Amino acid sequence: MKHPIIHLAIALLLICSFSSCEKVIDLKLDTSSPSIVIQGNVFDHDGPYKVHISKTVAFTEPNIFPPVTNAKVTISDNLGNSETLKESSPGIYISSALKGKSGVTYTLTVEAEGKTYTAVSTMPEPVSIDRIYIRKSEVGNGREVAFDFHDPAGIDNYYRVIEYINDSLKTGIYVGNDKLYPGKIITFALGSSSIKKDSVLQSGDRVRIQFECIDKGVYEYFRTTRGNSDQSTSPTNPTSNISNGALGYFSASTVRQDSIIYR
Amino acid sequence: MIGATVTVKELPGTGSSANTYGYYSVTLPAGHYQISAQFMGYAPQVQTVNLNQSQKIDFQLTEQVNELKEVVVSSQRKNENITKLQMGVQKLDTKDLKNIPVIFGEKDVLKTIQLLPGIKSAGEGSSGFNVRGGATDQNLILLDEATVYNASHLMGFFSVFNSDAIKDISVYKGNEPAEYGGRLSSVLDIKMNDGNDKKLGVSGGIGLISSRVTLEGPIVKDKGSFIISARRTYADLFAKLSKDSTINNARLYFYDFNVKANYRINNKNRIFLSGYFGRDVLGLSNTYGIHWGNSTATIRLNHLVSDRLFSNTSLIFSNYNYKINVNNGIEMNIISRIQDYSMKQDFQLYWGNNNTLRFGINSTLHKIIPGIITAISDVDLKSMTNKHAWENAIYISHQYGLSKKLSVEYGARFTTFSIMGPGKFYTYDSIADPRDTMTYKTGQFMRSYFNIEPRVSFNYILNDASSLKASYSRNVQNLHQLSNSTSGSPTDLWIPSSNNVKPEISDQVSLGYFRNFCDNQFEFFTEIYYKKLQNQIDYKTGAELNFNENVESQILFGKGRAYGLEMFLKKKYGRFNGWISYTLSRTERKFDGINNGNYYPARQDKTHDISIVGIYELNKHWTFSSTWVYNTGNAVTFPTAKYQIDGKTMMFYSNRNANRMPAYHRLDFGATWLVKKTKDFESSWTFSIYNAYGRDNAYMIRFRNNELDPTKTEAIQTTLFKFVPSFSYNFKF
Repeated sequence: MKHPIIHLAIALLLICSFSSCEKVIDLKLDTSSPSIVIQGNVFDHDGPYKVHISKTVAFTEPNIFPPVTNAKVTISDNLGNSETLKESSPGIYISSALKGKSGVTYTLTVEAEGKTYTAVSTMPEPVSIDRIYIRKSEVGNGREVAFDFHDPAGIDNYYRVIEYINDSLKTGIYVGNDKLYPGKIITFALGSSSIKKDSVLQSGDRVRIQFECIDKGVYEYFRTTRGNSDQSTSPTNPTSNISNGALGYFSASTVRQDSIIYR
Repeated sequence: MIGATVTVKELPGTGSSANTYGYYSVTLPAGHYQISAQFMGYAPQVQTVNLNQSQKIDFQLTEQVNELKEVVVSSQRKNENITKLQMGVQKLDTKDLKNIPVIFGEKDVLKTIQLLPGIKSAGEGSSGFNVRGGATDQNLILLDEATVYNASHLMGFFSVFNSDAIKDISVYKGNEPAEYGGRLSSVLDIKMNDGNDKKLGVSGGIGLISSRVTLEGPIVKDKGSFIISARRTYADLFAKLSKDSTINNARLYFYDFNVKANYRINNKNRIFLSGYFGRDVLGLSNTYGIHWGNSTATIRLNHLVSDRLFSNTSLIFSNYNYKINVNNGIEMNIISRIQDYSMKQDFQLYWGNNNTLRFGINSTLHKIIPGIITAISDVDLKSMTNKHAWENAIYISHQYGLSKKLSVEYGARFTTFSIMGPGKFYTYDSIADPRDTMTYKTGQFMRSYFNIEPRVSFNYILNDASSLKASYSRNVQNLHQLSNSTSGSPTDLWIPSSNNVKPEISDQVSLGYFRNFCDNQFEFFTEIYYKKLQNQIDYKTGAELNFNENVESQILFGKGRAYGLEMFLKKKYGRFNGWISYTLSRTERKFDGINNGNYYPARQDKTHDISIVGIYELNKHWTFSSTWVYNTGNAVTFPTAKYQIDGKTMMFYSNRNANRMPAYHRLDFGATWLVKKTKDFESSWTFSIYNAYGRDNAYMIRFRNNELDPTKTEAIQTTLFKFVPSFSYNFKF
């Protein structure tokens, strides 16, 4: 379920690896004024759910992102429930009674520094993981972790997968849709297994996957984060589902998890 | 011999040059004349005629041998660049092509033209090029009149043109004659070799990563000849030596064939057949594969209707397709194809000296499958729905000498482009969702565009060694390439103009000063140009281009402008020759929704671009060459801030193309060692080194967290080629 262009990129990389080299360079970069960054998640398991609010920093600064404090953060649903989140630590707002449900549409409202930002997300029906296993890599000689799930027929489905190695987020976040294989059993191979023989995985590592069903807006956000950090095309900011120019996303999603020990 | 000059000794200033089929016409009063034909690098020939009626005089020029070259005394008509009307055109001598070093030692037309003013490389080692600020898809690339849609092999490191099979290369930088049309920025017109009609010969070369062989000879001596050239790379054979089975299972090669035959039926009719077929194969074991390639075929009939009227009729076929196959348990195929069926009829009427009328028609049916994704393994291309488009053109142009000093060529091209059924067409609302669907039947016209493309150029000859030229031309483009990579990928998509996509239009004015020095030893010109572009294409933020049925909804339309100054100084003759080329230019785009609707530099905008080429013939055996290039880096977008989402560092971007890649420069060396040259056998070695001082040129810049200290971010530059040596052995018998 990887994008074919990724395969092309791998192939290109192979060609170029014959003579290419990389180095760290100094670049003079412009700096824009700080923008607000919001990330909010509602899941179908028990809360509390978190909303992170922070600011951008200049590229040359260390990766310490200033929290936005004293914001008014509200999550409401289309059933008439509404809850104002508490700031548990600077920039992190948590829910208490809210319980995510499939089919319910949630609205996030953030009032901060005199501006209001809103986002809407609908929680899809859950899809469970059929099995998780280790197999020979589809490309190269290594082995890779893969899992199967059965895509529900008749509706457009969007998925997000987060991979953790030994409980730390390692290789990243992937999204996909069922356009090509509607209603079929879909195999998803994880990126931790490199194309070379030496995998980043060591024997005994625990690989955990967080498998989410997301809505179209969230899928679009993650799809448009591809190519966020290179110059192969004109890079742009991903399409956020939050209004008023905020960066980030708000997602109501179902979550299923499974793990396997890599041997 | 295209462009060979024919002069009359008794009447200086009278003469003609051969057209693209080697045909010429001179009108003279009855009398006794010495007529000579010349072509650079070839021994001139003189024939004496006693003219009392129309006569056909054929010349067979032979390549000058080395010894002779030093004693060539300049004669008349070496100032062709001064007297010729056309400006903004550059011819590439196939002899220069032999000596100029290029990457991997494979002589390459598309790399070599990038050393000329106004023509810029689209990227390191790329065969893509930008002409006067145009995009890479705004170049019309013709191989014996057939359109080549993707001129790249192996991701652009090689071009599809086997230089052994090529006779003549001309690039028109936007002000092409009215007989050409269909692209905004340029026409690259490549003519294949006709083959030797005197004797059978074999030539070829064995290089580090590719080999080529050419067979040529007469069909009937002096009446017809044929040539077959073939080429294949074997990088994959080296890959097999690798211990890593990912690499040794990789398939990575291309091959191509050029075939041409011609036959002189009689004095008035000559027929040509030519074809090209090339394929690229790239794959990793059984799980992933991509094949792509072009094929073209041309049938051409030259006919002398009368002494003054020359006719050319061509039937042309062109095909480009790719197929990606992914098989990781579930099979997936991605297929795209563009096909052209074309008919062309051209006439040239020689009314008198410096009084020529050209006119003709051209009709092309385009069939396009724009990228279909399917899970079925054996896809029948015939069953797939094509987009059909019908393109027609009528042109007329008159070249006329108003006085001895001032001549003019004026004309126009009238074009229609119609998108037709069968098929579904969509209109889109403001959020890019389909609003209406219209179904059209076979042959039903969905939308037609009619355009008039006027072209005019003037030449004012100041004296024997200098002239002033000016020109204006409009070009229209109805096929548009959508690409989300910079250097061109085989999966780039061609789409026709439609109800959602309007034809691209450019208007260019240019002015030039041409001057020769030292008895035409040195040729110099400078041209300035200004170009206005309409209906330019860019994509919406986050556009999904590949395999999207509604790809037309992902497009933005805007304006563009490009202007610049080009300078070129060439030493044409002698043991040491070469050129210096300099371009100062700017190219900008303007789209609603990008950079607040202000003009911003296009990605291919490179302020300064310099090329220096030197070729030195030390003696009969050794020729050395060197090139040095410098250009300002591309306009790119670097982050202006960063932030964190799900624990990952993300980059924040502000204005499009507000930054620059580091400047690019590079020195290459080449040497040719002619081991043996006799009448029957010739052998030589060529050596080259690419990027001889190992400059770290930036191919790509990425931004990421420092691996050791994740609280920091860094910029990583990828360099592709440093000190790439190569050699090849060439033979001819």
